[in-house]
Amino acid sequence: MSVEKSDILFINQVKIMKVKFNYCVGAAALAAFGMFGCSEDEKPTVTPGEDVQARYIIASTPTTSEGVADYLLTAEDLSSGTISTVGNGIEQDGTYRYYVTNNNKFFSLLYGQGNPGAVTTYQLDENGALQKLSDFQSETVQVFAPVNDDILMMKIPRSGAEDASWYQLDTDLLQIKANGLTNIVDVASNGERAHFTWLTQVGEKVYAPYMSIKGCCNDTFGTSYPDSAWVAVYDYPSMNLEKVIKDNRISYIGRYFTNGLVEVENGDAYAFSSAVATSNGVATSTSPSAFVRIKAGETEFDQDYYFNVEDVADGYHVTNQTYLGLGNFVVFMHNEKGAYTTGKRLGILNVYDETFTWVSGTPAVEEITNVTTNNYSLMDGKTAFIGFTTTEGSYVYQVDAQSATASRGLKVEGGTITAISRLAVAE
Amino acid sequence: MKHTKELILLYIFLLMHFPILAQQVLKGKVKDAKGEQLPGVLVRDTATNKGTVTDLNGEFSFPLTSQSSLTLEFTSMGYQSTQVNVNPETSTYLQIQMEENAQDLNEVTVTGKSIVKEIKEKAFNVDVVDARKLHNTTLDIGHALDRVSGVRVRESGGVGSTMNFSLNGFTGKQVKFFIDGIPMDNFGSSFQLNNLPINLAERIEVYKGVVPVGLGADALGGAVNIITNQAGKSYLDISYSYGSFNTHKTVINTAYVAPSGFTFQMNAFQNYSDNDYWVTVDVADINTGKYYPDQTVRRFNDTYHNETLITQIGVQNKPYADKLLLGLTVGKNYKEIQTGARLVSVFGDWNRNGTILMPTLKYRKEDLITKGLNVTLNANYNFGSEQNIDTVHRRYNWFQQYLEYDTPGGERSYTLYKYQNNNALLTANADYSFGAHHAISFSNVINSFDREGTNELFPDQNLYEKPQKSQKNISGLSYRYQANDQFNISLFGKNYLQANYFALAYNPSGNYGDVAYRNEKETFSYQGYGFAATYFFGDNLQLKGSFEKSYRLPEPEELFGDMVNLQGNLDLKPESSYNYNLGASYWKTMGPSHRMEIGGNVFYRDAKDFIRPRLNNNQTMQVMDNLFNVTNIGVEGELRYFYKQSFTLGANITYQSLRNNTQYEEGQTVESVVYRDRIPNMPYFYGNADASYTFENFIKEGKRLVIGYNLLYVHAFYLYWPSLGSDKFGVPEQLSHDLNMTYTFGKQNRFQFTAECRNIFDKKIYDNFSLQKPGRNVSGKIRYFIY
Repeated sequence: MSVEKSDILFINQVKIMKVKFNYCVGAAALAAFGMFGCSEDEKPTVTPGEDVQARYIIASTPTTSEGVADYLLTAEDLSSGTISTVGNGIEQDGTYRYYVTNNNKFFSLLYGQGNPGAVTTYQLDENGALQKLSDFQSETVQVFAPVNDDILMMKIPRSGAEDASWYQLDTDLLQIKANGLTNIVDVASNGERAHFTWLTQVGEKVYAPYMSIKGCCNDTFGTSYPDSAWVAVYDYPSMNLEKVIKDNRISYIGRYFTNGLVEVENGDAYAFSSAVATSNGVATSTSPSAFVRIKAGETEFDQDYYFNVEDVADGYHVTNQTYLGLGNFVVFMHNEKGAYTTGKRLGILNVYDETFTWVSGTPAVEEITNVTTNNYSLMDGKTAFIGFTTTEGSYVYQVDAQSATASRGLKVEGGTITAISRLAVAE
Repeated sequence: MKHTKELILLYIFLLMHFPILAQQVLKGKVKDAKGEQLPGVLVRDTATNKGTVTDLNGEFSFPLTSQSSLTLEFTSMGYQSTQVNVNPETSTYLQIQMEENAQDLNEVTVTGKSIVKEIKEKAFNVDVVDARKLHNTTLDIGHALDRVSGVRVRESGGVGSTMNFSLNGFTGKQVKFFIDGIPMDNFGSSFQLNNLPINLAERIEVYKGVVPVGLGADALGGAVNIITNQAGKSYLDISYSYGSFNTHKTVINTAYVAPSGFTFQMNAFQNYSDNDYWVTVDVADINTGKYYPDQTVRRFNDTYHNETLITQIGVQNKPYADKLLLGLTVGKNYKEIQTGARLVSVFGDWNRNGTILMPTLKYRKEDLITKGLNVTLNANYNFGSEQNIDTVHRRYNWFQQYLEYDTPGGERSYTLYKYQNNNALLTANADYSFGAHHAISFSNVINSFDREGTNELFPDQNLYEKPQKSQKNISGLSYRYQANDQFNISLFGKNYLQANYFALAYNPSGNYGDVAYRNEKETFSYQGYGFAATYFFGDNLQLKGSFEKSYRLPEPEELFGDMVNLQGNLDLKPESSYNYNLGASYWKTMGPSHRMEIGGNVFYRDAKDFIRPRLNNNQTMQVMDNLFNVTNIGVEGELRYFYKQSFTLGANITYQSLRNNTQYEEGQTVESVVYRDRIPNMPYFYGNADASYTFENFIKEGKRLVIGYNLLYVHAFYLYWPSLGSDKFGVPEQLSHDLNMTYTFGKQNRFQFTAECRNIFDKKIYDNFSLQKPGRNVSGKIRYFIY
């Protein structure tokens, strides 16, 4: 499948394999400014004969303004060491890319400003290196999530056309096996349009929480309904809309491009709201940031469950989450409401016990310039790896839920961390 | 300098001996001893002192006032002047042979300079394209500029495709374009580099880094001034070409200038192309997205055509005006959109169109009120519009298969958005020379913009389209001191003033149809300055130095957005730069037949607050921002060799080191990993070479065949930062060869036929990552002209 691909790339995409000489020269030029040499650590860190089981995958974006591409790096261990994109890493085409892992394959999706583009796919070879599988074509999508062995993607118009397109990617065949439309004005049925914040598989169904948006009038992402949450429930794989469920105790679930709904081990789904709806650029949600529940097998919000996060977290609200297992979440907390801000303080939140603890050991808030939102969890109930960029550089922090502490691990030179994932060696 | 007036010698044949009754003109031809036709020979009636000059073919016609005999004197530099007695009753056609001045012809220095040469010798770092030499080709102005050192014109496809012009590392709007000194701001898509034929221009001046105040604009890194035919007299020039990919191009340029000074000028041109050239691409299965690798397919949604008519009417050489012309430019273009930023993004129905409807006024008067005071005034207003049409709800692949949906939608973004910018422009220049050594000039440009847009698909939204106005006023003052023939210097200052008015419309209540406005106003004022100086060492060597602190003000589009893909940013600051040039040129004639010109230039640019696109917060639109600083140090060199009139060989080469000069990214205390790295996705080493050979008297006496060759080289470059990653994307080296052959024939050599072949070796060439340009393509052009 991947053999003839290298030729294609050369002709069609003009991929240039950079020879060692070149990046030594480049690095030497940088060394002249006291930064880097052409040292050993730029070589692949593979020791031949070593029995490789798995590798962490880190996507890094340079902190600069133009000509920005992501680089995929591999690391054996996230708890210590240094890794760099200087002369190292697989360049990804396109400034804004998003990553998702399913079926032990790592997918790199282009956010192409509405244009279709190639999705590149990697698996891990026996040397612990990323090996490219065949590309396939996809549209620019706003949400994408694993469902069974597929990746379900949706392209959602924010104005104009009323149909969102969905695509089901078969991760074995690396092809789109089905596609269709869903009318988002009909889904919202309040005169606005449903803009899905994310998709989550719950049981055999797909739950699609959405924000209601005006989609017009110089206030595309504003809404006149700031204090309601909705989830569109789709049958899978038919993608028939079964129902839309609503809850007026919270504002919309998740945020733009952010997963706000998670199925836990017993089949219940927990969802958070940041309460950051706006109208004409002014924050209008009055309900606090909170978690709610949809019980397994039921397609209604559980009116007996409501966890007001702001009450227990000094007024901070949840902006993002990483699920750890056993009801524990790492939550990203912020004290100023904003539709696109990412919380720089971490908390451990248990949805079963409705408890919240601040995490210590993360960088000082005023020094943080970026927090990674696509992070990796061991799903052991306690361990997650979260990326932070401070004024001094980027690091992976290992979070331990039991002690509610974070410790600084791998240093990533060359930019911010956009995603942390893990692949086992392919069969 | 040896001075001139060489004279004497004669020789006359009266070949035709048959009598003629009444004759109005006396015709003839002047040749040298070898039978070469002699242009530019002065023919004078010694009695009346009236005269004429021989044309390019050595021919002349002399109006007769009576049938009595007269004495004609023939004078030309380097030849002995000759007197001939003519009896018009017996002579109808004179054959004159002039002898070279045996004494010192080899030491004669021609002091007359072409305008091209005069401009090149200015203190500014300027390159001049003599467009007349390219009138036989099918080039558009963009491609002609691509042959200038320091310039790279990158295009995304075939005829009519988007062109990105770069000059010494500055790109896009950082370099300003002018036509006859009038800024081409907001002329719209119907009047651009990619659709203006080279035949429209007489010459093109490329000012690098330092721009004279006469070209009043906020250019950050230079300016290009396209000079059209100035219509001093009547002429006609018609051409038509046909070529690969069903490409048709027609140009009609004509002017009528009456003895009274009444002037009518018309330029009409048309381009049409299917642009259905072959590309090699991975074709996605329309249902599964699976790629069929390495397929060779034709482009199928890439038709481009434009039609433009420029008319001007007025007077010349009147006491109140040397030139007063009222004009109207009318045009439109249609462009199908085949791909997005990558070849794999393919569209089948999306298209755009644009119109231009622009009344113009041109006024020029020399010695107004007092001798030495020259005044120029230009005004225009563009009523043109642009529209984006994406209303077919389909998804295409490169096999032209598609999936169609029966609901309203588009291929990319469902729209019929249409806007017009209502751009008004007023430029005024005055220069005044006093004494033998001093000149001052002043220029002022007022530019106003008032966008109106509608989307007929969503009429409710039109309520929220609100006034977006911007006004720019740029004035410049310069003083020029001409010490002597060897040295002159110009000092100048410029003032940039911008006022932006923006009424942001929104819906205050959420109720249908409610609208309210937030008003914003911003004004900026900045000052730039610079100088340009030159010194001649003897007759063969010139040194030039120039400097400018320049600004480019944000364009209205960058401030207000385009309501489609670009979000406005009212906080944009201007880009600024310190530009330095140091150059030398040397020319030498070796013996009677060899001539050589060598030029070189070193430049340095130190620019701040580059305006570049980034994605907005929710990554649905682009927004322009002041993002980073760059420096660029570079060299460019040019060499040209002439052998008599028959052979020329030229080459130029440019190398630039464009570096990221942003040491700390916002919020970072550690140095940026790409600080001082080479700016990616910019060609940095490139050049052109050309050669041409002229066969005189080819097939027939007096007919001429010219064979020309052109080579383009661009070194490979990386798409993203060179220092990062080990497995990278890039644009490979480009090497393309073009050949053309022009045969000039017909009565008085008024016909020209040209055959052209571009990209002879059918190489895959790319200017932009993954976007292939056309392979081998051929065209033929026929041209008829009377000057």
